[in-house]
Amino acid sequence: MELFVALKLIWTLLLGVLLSGLAIMVGMDMGVGTLLRFVGKNDAERRVALNIIGPHWDGNQVWFILGGGAIFAAFPTLYATSFSVFYVVMILLLFSMIMRPVAFEYRSKVDAKKWRGAWDWAFLISGALPMIIYGAAFGNVMQGVGFHYTWTGQFFQDESFLSYLLNPFAILCGVLSLSLSIYQGGTMLMLRGEEPIYARARGFAIGGALVAAVLFIIGGMWVAHINGYVFTSPVDPGMAPTPLNGPGVAVQQGAWMNNYHAQPLLWVLPVLGVLGMLGGAAMAAARKPVLGWWLGALAWIGVIFTTGASMFPFLMPSSTMPSQSLTAWNATGSQYNLGWMLFFALVFTPIIIAYTSWCFYVMRGKVKAADVAKNTHGY
Amino acid sequence: MGKYAKIFSLAVVLGLAIFLAVVAGDYGPWYFAWLVGTTMIVLIAAAGAVLFDTQEERGEREI
Amino acid sequence: MNLIDPTVVDLSRLQFALTALYHFLFVPLTLGMTFLIAAMETVYVITGKPVYKEMTQFWGKLFGINFAIGVATGLTMEFEFGTNWSMYSHFVGDVFGTPLAIEGLMAFFMESTFVGLMFFGWDRLSRPAHLAVTYLVALGSNLSALWILIANGFMQNPQGASFDPVTMRMQFNSFLNLVFSPDAQAKFVHTSIAGFVTGALFVMGISAFYLLRKQHVALAGRSFRMAALFGVISSMAVVTLGDALGRLDYLVQPTKIAAIEGLWQDSNAHSSAAAAPWLLFALPNDATQKNDFEIGIPYVLTPLVTHSMDKVIPGLITQENQAGPRIENGIKALNALEAYGQTHDAADLAAFKANEDDMGYGFLAQRYAPDQNLNQITPANQGAVIAKTEKDIIPNVFVTFWSFRIMMFLGFYFVALFAFASYFSLRNELQKHKWLLWASMWSIPLPILACEFGWITAEAGRQPWSVYGWLPTFQAASSHPVGYMVFSLIGFAVLYSTFIAAELYLMFKFARLGPQPHHEVPDEGATPMFAARAAE
Repeated sequence: MELFVALKLIWTLLLGVLLSGLAIMVGMDMGVGTLLRFVGKNDAERRVALNIIGPHWDGNQVWFILGGGAIFAAFPTLYATSFSVFYVVMILLLFSMIMRPVAFEYRSKVDAKKWRGAWDWAFLISGALPMIIYGAAFGNVMQGVGFHYTWTGQFFQDESFLSYLLNPFAILCGVLSLSLSIYQGGTMLMLRGEEPIYARARGFAIGGALVAAVLFIIGGMWVAHINGYVFTSPVDPGMAPTPLNGPGVAVQQGAWMNNYHAQPLLWVLPVLGVLGMLGGAAMAAARKPVLGWWLGALAWIGVIFTTGASMFPFLMPSSTMPSQSLTAWNATGSQYNLGWMLFFALVFTPIIIAYTSWCFYVMRGKVKAADVAKNTHGY
Repeated sequence: MGKYAKIFSLAVVLGLAIFLAVVAGDYGPWYFAWLVGTTMIVLIAAAGAVLFDTQEERGEREI
Repeated sequence: MNLIDPTVVDLSRLQFALTALYHFLFVPLTLGMTFLIAAMETVYVITGKPVYKEMTQFWGKLFGINFAIGVATGLTMEFEFGTNWSMYSHFVGDVFGTPLAIEGLMAFFMESTFVGLMFFGWDRLSRPAHLAVTYLVALGSNLSALWILIANGFMQNPQGASFDPVTMRMQFNSFLNLVFSPDAQAKFVHTSIAGFVTGALFVMGISAFYLLRKQHVALAGRSFRMAALFGVISSMAVVTLGDALGRLDYLVQPTKIAAIEGLWQDSNAHSSAAAAPWLLFALPNDATQKNDFEIGIPYVLTPLVTHSMDKVIPGLITQENQAGPRIENGIKALNALEAYGQTHDAADLAAFKANEDDMGYGFLAQRYAPDQNLNQITPANQGAVIAKTEKDIIPNVFVTFWSFRIMMFLGFYFVALFAFASYFSLRNELQKHKWLLWASMWSIPLPILACEFGWITAEAGRQPWSVYGWLPTFQAASSHPVGYMVFSLIGFAVLYSTFIAAELYLMFKFARLGPQPHHEVPDEGATPMFAARAAE
């Protein structure tokens, strides 16, 4: 295989890994944020919940930043187009994302009911909204998005943001993503929390996992009936990465199932997703949060790779100008760039995993309400 | 053995420092200046604090 | 070829400028305070004196308040390249996105993971391990700045990439040229050290406040001393690097340096180049293209900018007049490129290649072409188009000139302030010189102001380009309805005002409160445990 094609493939896989890592790590914190008002009935309990992810949320959030940066570098045109085409939604996502770091740092620094209450609402919004938007973005991308380019590469949008908000399939994906994050956040709270947080978190984790499983199965059946995209002329995977003179593309109902028909082995992915969710619910019920957490990670990987496998090689199809759809072959950076990026990813990913694990190891153990009250550096 | 390991690791650090100085000094003189300068700034600030303690102790004895 | 609505471009610029300036309120303090705190903790680990631990934790708390907002508002910057500058992201993403991604991998992950341990790990780590964590946070935040400024260096002086007529964008071709770009190097050191100055003055000013009120004297005296020494070297380094940047601008961004110096005519226009005055005060008038009033010091400008006595600095009007042929070539280049996109004909490609370097000037001319279409330029109307475009190649001189001067005057003020502060602190005579303590306290916001004006100098002086010489700013924006921009601007205004109010409230609250923790003091029994763990 040509080196450039190999690099494009690797980076498409890494895109999936990044989106999964982001969903697992950020989703867990978002879940805790969403659940904060419900697992903690009083201030002391809420502070315990916050301090459970207190030492880690900042590092976890970098998955999100890295996701943005890596898409920018490895898929410049995809980054440029997707962020702009979803402008209003992206800005809402951004607003809720920037509320969160401030909420963590500021909430417990003033001992006033109104102040803390306001930040608790900020946690709810900044936990739930980004997850809904994250899922809904997948839902919208699967159905195709309205955009086209002029000859200079200047992008223009052809649809209003309302069509991305009021879209039943996208809403389903959004709720699926939210429930997975609640499940993941719930197991994390079980992992390092004590009663009564533990019992409440357990309930939410089980509920989140079961709802996610139901929505995932419904979504899967729905996909067979929505419009997919297919190439109508031969594609050269080693093509120069530009959407400007691509091969013909047609819209076809049910086309997103084509890859599964061609490669039945791919069915492993949705099965893993469902197993992760159902198994996770069982583990939460059996009070085994560590296993539950890992099964939650598996569920995310299953969901995201199921989506990716059904669309591949499409990344973001254009509904108004299908021939300018963004694919794994035409939306990447240059070979030189992908090579350097891969080098840096290979060097730094193991290091990152090592120190992130070390950090979790150092901060292991239950968070106790008494310690939280005494510790002046906590949240 | 521990002693040799220490000497060896010191040698590695020194070797790295020389390598860094040669390469960085050649391609990235300002980057190199930042490394040296920041180290110096931190050390001088720390030395100032130590001097503060010494001055304070001396002052207390004189009284 | 339809261009983006100029209102949307202006609103996008406004939004980016405001959010970047807002983000930059917090960044310098993070860059500097981390290293200063690390220095304090170093003394703690070496001497074992509890007052240094108290210092580390107290300044650490103020650092945390600042850090959170810095991280939060940094997200905005990364988003906005995609949400508001899609043509830019598409055009240079292959080279510009890479340092941003590496920043995440190499620096931001490190900084953010360890900052959690820095605050939460006091009871769980040995003293040396905690010190190492603090240094990693300091290094991480400054490495972050490094990669961001490498990316910014590319916008100022694009090297390490070339334009590819097939993909219609800049393609990355030299990692080393990108990373070791002189612009990126000098800019990183200048910015990082400017952060050191900001952090030092912040610590010194608050310490001065305590010293004036004779509170927390043990902590404040030591903090003042450390910050003063930290600041005196940093402030001198900032001035040095500022000079290096000015010389770089002379070499690679002639329009920027001429705007900074308010130089409309060539530097040898009135007498010799050597005698050219450096303007201490002037009122540049962008409409009439001359300075309405000026006071200068002769024989300073040429050696300062060119590091020689005879090199001529070209004036803005000269540069405008010389741009004519480049604009003409640029129009040819873009017309050939559009044809090549349809025909894939070697002749068109050759025509493009012949004028490739001036392509950006062709983009600049689009605004004045009939129907904004370069194809419709004829020999009859070409002269008029070029004449109008020429006037566009220089930045706003008044803004560039004054933001540079405010930054620079402040820079020299910091050198003097830190010099006095170090001198009197080393002699333990601070209480005899109350004026110095007052000056330090009231100067806390000034380095932040200087950093902001430095950023304005760099970015306003880069105009009309988004990527110098290649992509004009008006071409780089995303095509949004005006309503979208109004929505996001209002949202930012509301959210950011709330944040700054909360931040200032907390900063004042905790600075006034001083080192006592607002909850109960952790029992001192913790200290022997540290020692025991350290001994293990």
